Formats: sequence, structure tokens, C-alpha cells
Amino acid sequence: MNSRPEVAPLQELLTRFAAALRTGTAADDAARDMASQIVDDGLEPGRRLRIYRNNVQAMFYGALSRTYPVLKATLGDATFESLAREYRGAHPSRSGDLHWVGQALPDWLHERLADDEDDSWLADLARLEWACEEALVARAMQPLQRDALASVPPEQLADTGLELQPAMRVVSSPHPIWSVWRAHQPGCDVEGMDSAAGPQHVVVACIAGQLALRSVPREPADFIRHLRDGGTLGAALDASTLPVAALPGVLDWMFEDGLVVGLRPAATPACTGGAEA
Amino acid sequence: MSSRVPGASIPASAGIGLRSPHYAHVAAGTPAVAWVEVHTENYFHDGGPHLHELERVRESHALSLHGVGLGLGSVESLDRAHLERVKRAVRRFEPALVSEHACWGHSGGEHFNDLLPLPYTEEAVEHLSARVREVQDFLGRQILIENLSSYFAYSASRLTEWEFLAAVAERSGCGLLLDVNNVYVNSVNLGLDAARFIDSVPASAVQEIHLAGHRRNPVGGRDILIDDHGSAVCEDVWALYARAIDRLGRVPTLIEWDTDLPEFEVLLAEARKANAILERCGELAA
Repeated sequence: MNSRPEVAPLQELLTRFAAALRTGTAADDAARDMASQIVDDGLEPGRRLRIYRNNVQAMFYGALSRTYPVLKATLGDATFESLAREYRGAHPSRSGDLHWVGQALPDWLHERLADDEDDSWLADLARLEWACEEALVARAMQPLQRDALASVPPEQLADTGLELQPAMRVVSSPHPIWSVWRAHQPGCDVEGMDSAAGPQHVVVACIAGQLALRSVPREPADFIRHLRDGGTLGAALDASTLPVAALPGVLDWMFEDGLVVGLRPAATPACTGGAEA
Repeated sequence: MSSRVPGASIPASAGIGLRSPHYAHVAAGTPAVAWVEVHTENYFHDGGPHLHELERVRESHALSLHGVGLGLGSVESLDRAHLERVKRAVRRFEPALVSEHACWGHSGGEHFNDLLPLPYTEEAVEHLSARVREVQDFLGRQILIENLSSYFAYSASRLTEWEFLAAVAERSGCGLLLDVNNVYVNSVNLGLDAARFIDSVPASAVQEIHLAGHRRNPVGGRDILIDDHGSAVCEDVWALYARAIDRLGRVPTLIEWDTDLPEFEVLLAEARKANAILERCGELAA
């Protein structure tokens, strides 16, 4: 028989440990409580526990850094780290897969910066980076060739819809987010960034394993949004104010970029290529 | 699936932890890498270049899927969606080995995304064994459980770490993944006897070995070793590894390097060192 104290039930022990790993001042109190459950061999238990507390925050910060490299570069390491800590308090990780911890950041940042005229655009930049992240891990469908549209009788064209790559996103901002994003890519020059370019609209997709971003005018961006939301070519054209004369050119690059994966004939269920790329 | 060559078993030689900057080197096959291991969670998605690259590597290499996010020993129930994705990855890549850690990771709905230690108690043995059985039943196959690096010991612990692992292996039917660097890290951090661990771990259960680097952090006037997988294997760990191979025989051995990733040639050089020890063991046996 030994004279050591009763063994704390596993659930109680892990709950106390977990409380010490969270953010905020309550976690500091919990850490003092948890330290009493740690062997003291001359190195203060609180210092040992702090290694885990730091690791957990570092893992979260590292995941956000990988998802939002341009936002991090724009804000600077110290500000981004502070932001990550605050964000973790509002949106702690809900998965064992760290990939998803940054999912709520754009909306959270939007709320956080709503009253900040100078920095509110950073939420749009975050939205663009999250769109890239989603595109990079999404299932890609086999692109449809441009010729497929030629098979549609002219009188049915306006009532035909286009099925687009599921992970394609269109991100718009009154700020030149694409210029900022591009300036931070390898081989580009941040100094040469055109920060006065005005509003920008970016189509994001992953084609043949490569992230593909295209900056487009507002009208094609709206046109693609309407198509993505189920609109027919005619309805999307009307709603977007895209000039009819510009339509062939827009369709050309949509097909060239592999964004179109199927046609949705008038008044029939969706008919897509259906095969994974 | 396509005409995959290896798959039924991992060769009893040194493999490397595959990270994205090295996809092309491994797929090219020159120089040859015996086998590779990846973090399962990096291949959870529906598509994208990482899945494609691993499919390509898998055509010519045996594979081990190593999970870091299940938090097996958490008191709350396992994340079934996470487990479902593990199963999907197992179906997709047909790995020879599937492994996880003897740790916990989530509580109160929050995931800490770290490998957190369990107390070495009878209750924890029962709990972790039940969880391992749950995962094995769900996947329809045996998994390996890896020993952790630790930065503290629970006052509540009543068993040694190897007694804990042996009991879990016996009660759940799982295999063990022996991380020799973690044994060494714990010997320094917690004042444990690394050689005794190596000499006591149940030999028949060990199906894979991990080797990695660590960094020294001064804490409170002494060094604490942080298991960061960001440097070469140190000489003390090589010596422990040789002791392990002398006792266990030729066990598939992985060079893990996850941070500050070096040139591919550096990983190969580490794998060659491990192979030299494995081959010496083979000669001794002959």
C-alpha cells in the first residue's frame, strides 16, 4: 500500500487540464489549480504546464498563419498574433483537423472592424484568402469544353444555365485586395503594389491542381454570381448589366479557366459532367 | 484502385515522413525511399493537389497513415466525423499501417490540437483501451498507438509509461509505435530511465519506430526538451535506437521531420543512418 492521495477521476483531471489550456483570465486561475496535480521535481509545475499552454496557442496561430499569409504580412507578426489570440477566444478550434480553424475569421473580422474605415477592407482580404483555401481542397469536376455550348439551339440559349466548379468563389471589395494578394506572392514585389487601384473583383478556383485567381470587372463578377446561384444565361445577363457584346469574351475565359463543368438545359434538372477531374 | 505495388506491409527498413516540398523527390523514385508516412489529417479533403500528389507517391511506395487529431483518450466521445474521414483516407490510400497517439485532445467542445498526456492509471488504461477498440472496430483493422513526449508527470499516475502502454496493447489488441526520441525527451524532462523503457516495452507489440529531433529550451535554470521534429536525430537518441533494435529486431523506422524542413538529401542521410543500424542487427541475427 502506498500513502499517496486518492487518484483523481480521469474526467475531473482532464477537465481541469482543459480549463488551463483555454484563453482568458479564467485559464490563469485554472492553471494554478491544475499545477497542484503535477509532480513537483524542483521545476515549478506551473512552468511545465505553460509549455502546453504555449504549444496550444502556437498550433492555433500556426494554422491561421498558413491560411492567411497575406493578412499576416499586411498586419505584421505582432498584430496578427494578438488578433489570433482574440479570435481564438471567440472561435476556439472545434475540430482535430486544424485546417478549419480559420473558417470564421473573415466574418469575425468583418464585425470586429465594422467601425474602422481604414482597416475594414482587411475582412475582404481574409475572405479572399479563405476562398483560396477552400478552392485548394475542394473536389474539382471535369471542365466542360466551349464546344458544348454550341450544341444548344440558339433559341434555348438564354434559358440555359451553367454548372460551375463547386469550389469556385467570387470575392469583391471596394479595396484592391487582388493587388495586395498578388504583391505578396513569391517573386512579386510588395513595393510595386498598386494600392490605389480601387474596387476589385476576384474569381478564385483551383484548376488542374493549381490555384487560379483572375481579377475581373464588376459586371462579369456579378454575372458569374448569378449563374452560380442558379440563374440562366439570360437572367444572369440582365441582372448583372454585363453588355451583351462582352458575353462571348467572358464565356471564352470561363471555359478556358475550366470554371464550367456542365450545362443546365431550360426547365430540366441539372446535367453535369459528373466526373471528378 | 490503380496498380499499386506495395501496400500489404511496410518494409523493415527506414522510411521518411513525407511533406509537400518533397512530393516530387519521392515520386521520382531516385534515390529510392523505402516507404513514407503522412499525417492523416492532411488528406481529409475532397480534392486538391495534395490528394493527387499522395496518390502518385502511393503508386510506388508503401504508406503509413499517422493521425494527430483524434484525441483518442479524451473523456468526451470521439468525433465521429473525424473518424469517418480517417476511414475514408484508409479506403482511398490502402495504407499498410494506421497509427495514432496515446493522448487526449478535446474537452468541452474545444479541440486543443496538441498531443496531451494522460495519467498512467488503471482508469485511463481501461478508458484508452475501450477507445482504441472502438476505433479498430470502426476501421475494421488494427491500429498502432504511439508513446508521447511529455513536459510534466501527473501526481495521479500509478503505472510507468511502458506498463500503461503494454496494458493498453494487451486489452485493446493494438500495436505500438515506439517513438525513441519521445522516450529520450521524457528521460530528460521527467528524469526517467530511457534504457529501462526500451528494455521493458512489450517487444511483440512494437511494429514501427519513430526517430526525430528536438530542441533544448532553458526553463527554470535547466533544459527542457521540446519535441519539435525540426532537427537531426541526436547521438543519444541514435544510441537508444540501436539498443531498441538490438532488442526488438528489424522494425520499420521512420525519420520524422516536420518543422524547418531540410533538403531532401538530409532526410535520406538520416534514413541511411537508421538503415545501417537495422542492417547491423540483421547481420548479428544471421
